[in-house]
Amino acid sequence: MTDVTRRKIFGAAAGTLAGAAAATATAQPAQPAPRDPADVNLFVSLSAALTGIAEAKLAPPVDPVQVKNDYYDQAKSDPSFVALMQIIRADPSNPAAAADKVMNNADAKIKFLGRSIILAWYLGAWYPPVVLQQPAPNSPVPPLKVISSAAYTQAWAYRVAQAHPMGYSELRFGYWSDEPLRLTDFVA
Amino acid sequence: MCADKVGSYDAVIVGSGVSGALIAKVLGQAKKKVLLLEAGEKLPPNINAYMDRFLMTTAKVPESPYPPELFTGNKLTDPGTINAGRPTVLSLGANGKFGDWQDPKQSYLIQKGPLPFASTYERLNGGTCRHWLGTSLRFVPRDFEMNKYADSFPNWPIGYADLERWYGDAEREIGVAADAEDQNYLGITFSRPYPMPKIPPSRVDMAVDKALPGLKIPGIGLDDLDWKVSNTPAARNSQPYQERRVCAGNTNCIPICPIQAKYDPSVTLADATRTGNVEIWYRCVASNVAVDGSGRVSGIDYIVYDGDTGPVVRRGRVSAKVYILAGNAIETPRLLLMSKNEGRTPRGVANRRDGSGVIGKYLMDHPLYLAWALAPEPVWGYRGPLSTGGIEVCRDGDFRKDRAAFRIEIGNEGWNFPIQDPDTTTVDLVNGWNVSKTGSGEPLFGAALVKELNDKLSRQFRLGFLIEQTPDATNAVTLSSTAKDRLGLPRPEITYDLSDYTKRGLAAAKTAASAIFKAMNAQEFTGLHPDNPSSFFWPSGQKKERIEYFGAGHIVGTHRMGPRADSAVDDMQRSWDHDNLYLVGSGSFPTVATGNPTLTIAALCLRTADHIARNVLK
Repeated sequence: MTDVTRRKIFGAAAGTLAGAAAATATAQPAQPAPRDPADVNLFVSLSAALTGIAEAKLAPPVDPVQVKNDYYDQAKSDPSFVALMQIIRADPSNPAAAADKVMNNADAKIKFLGRSIILAWYLGAWYPPVVLQQPAPNSPVPPLKVISSAAYTQAWAYRVAQAHPMGYSELRFGYWSDEPLRLTDFVA
Repeated sequence: MCADKVGSYDAVIVGSGVSGALIAKVLGQAKKKVLLLEAGEKLPPNINAYMDRFLMTTAKVPESPYPPELFTGNKLTDPGTINAGRPTVLSLGANGKFGDWQDPKQSYLIQKGPLPFASTYERLNGGTCRHWLGTSLRFVPRDFEMNKYADSFPNWPIGYADLERWYGDAEREIGVAADAEDQNYLGITFSRPYPMPKIPPSRVDMAVDKALPGLKIPGIGLDDLDWKVSNTPAARNSQPYQERRVCAGNTNCIPICPIQAKYDPSVTLADATRTGNVEIWYRCVASNVAVDGSGRVSGIDYIVYDGDTGPVVRRGRVSAKVYILAGNAIETPRLLLMSKNEGRTPRGVANRRDGSGVIGKYLMDHPLYLAWALAPEPVWGYRGPLSTGGIEVCRDGDFRKDRAAFRIEIGNEGWNFPIQDPDTTTVDLVNGWNVSKTGSGEPLFGAALVKELNDKLSRQFRLGFLIEQTPDATNAVTLSSTAKDRLGLPRPEITYDLSDYTKRGLAAAKTAASAIFKAMNAQEFTGLHPDNPSSFFWPSGQKKERIEYFGAGHIVGTHRMGPRADSAVDDMQRSWDHDNLYLVGSGSFPTVATGNPTLTIAALCLRTADHIARNVLK
């Protein structure tokens, strides 16, 4: 091919926004405190409503990858995480309502954390809330970091495209000549 | 400096990319003793090391899996601090912005302009074909005889007929999958079948092909063309080959195939070392081509270092009967121009004692015109190899006297190349931005997000037009007088521009792209990236519109073959000035033609290697 110049990042916004994020984010989740599985499950339940992807797909019963833990730990490093989780704790039986309250929250910090969480599930990468709160850029903005290699290989944007993460295919030779499975097969 | 007494070699080769690897293998199999010097790293012991680096990087550019490190903190690594640096697409940004293309602290190449040279390469085991796409097209016969059309092009000293057998050998050597009956357009002929059957087409290929019958695109010299999609021959396994797996459509060919279904030269390097006759020294930078009083090359001086930014470990000189420089069309001229031999060769080595000084000149790329659209119905990109089909029938014709020819590559990866999707559109839809130009501005979540994102991603596709750039003597590689790498060697300095002939090709590509999208009922979204220095006003001298170009990764022309006057090498890639020196690879091409260069590189190098084994080192 046309080998080389793919996936360029046009830097105008990139450098400054990434810099802002690095300055204000509370860095990595250091040593995560032991996770409460019930709390993680609540987080997944809320995430399903936020992302539009079934809970059993986000965190299947047999889950060798456990990417939910990577996202939980990353989100927990944000100061507004407790307030966000309070919303689903108030009524765990209605994650749809909780998602609505998060995404329309009067507190911008909670609202944008909700968006960061959705992007974590969709792209396997962390876009800190403070980065998302910047004025609309005119070029693509890179994330602060890829959350983990597992996170990238489980990224949902590609499955919503009825495809697979670029670099991670479990499909057979020639699959690309056929139509993919239906969207509901991927996300429901 | 005396030569090391480590053993006498038949051949010393500089560079372990596709050229060096193939020649090393052929000579090793012919029981010649070969030493290969590679500036960069050897294959790491952890087979997942490159993939892990790729998975974790936020900037998934072609160089991203491979050392040396692109970033130091939030900034690009200063190339002056790296022992064996290389360019990156991240340093093609606007002046004053991140990755400023003319900032020597960010750009390995010292770019003088007026336009950016937009292609990059690797310096490590396997070379740039580590991150190539795998497209393995032959040139068309007329590509070798362009002087019949246009004075600005020289003829090659050999023609398609001279190379046909070597094309077949190259296709076997690297494992190319295609059906010959799909490939015999524009005068291409085959004496043997391909070693593997073709890679099946994608849904995107099918959608484009469906719209082409009867399409007429006036005004670009292709009025009567029967437009159609052709399957793309690729060095990608459609069957198990060389004990490598069949393609599983990871859609990641650039920058790295996770399962090595795509050929990369480490396969050939392994074959070469297995002969027992080939030795490879890594982290070993050739710094001077030594020439003796009689004008023969007497050795290669080298520097061995420890780590990207580590100390020099050893210096020395190796000698052989034959010397082969396979360092790509920027690094080979750089080495030759650096080789001053204590002032005895002030203009460098192999730089034509007749005074024509051709080394480094006639630098070419395929400037690439990128166009993207939303199809009316899903085409389901992000699936299959990055490209499985193209439009090839437009590569030749009488129009070549007026404007640059092009081929069209159909992309299977949605809008990943133009706007780094799916990330950008996903962020747009979640955050109410509109970088993609397809967001409504309203932030979405839940089922509404799934539906909207699926609708957009499943209909995205792109076309890439590879334009045949003219060979211009003013497009050149020289040495920077100020910028060095960590070894103290001068970095390459580039002057680069696009001729009007070439720009007319880009403008024709723009017309063709819109016409194809229209025929498909697709909605075009091709737009300019803000502040992109790789762009120009069109028509020349007017400010009517601005056209952007990208680099195709095809670095060509700087030690071209030809008759003795105004060329560096003969048709066997042997230097006119030094009987025991060969300059191999795409630097030998007198024209960049209309096809991706690797198969032609491989054919030329197999031909050269055969000649050296049989006739020179017999």
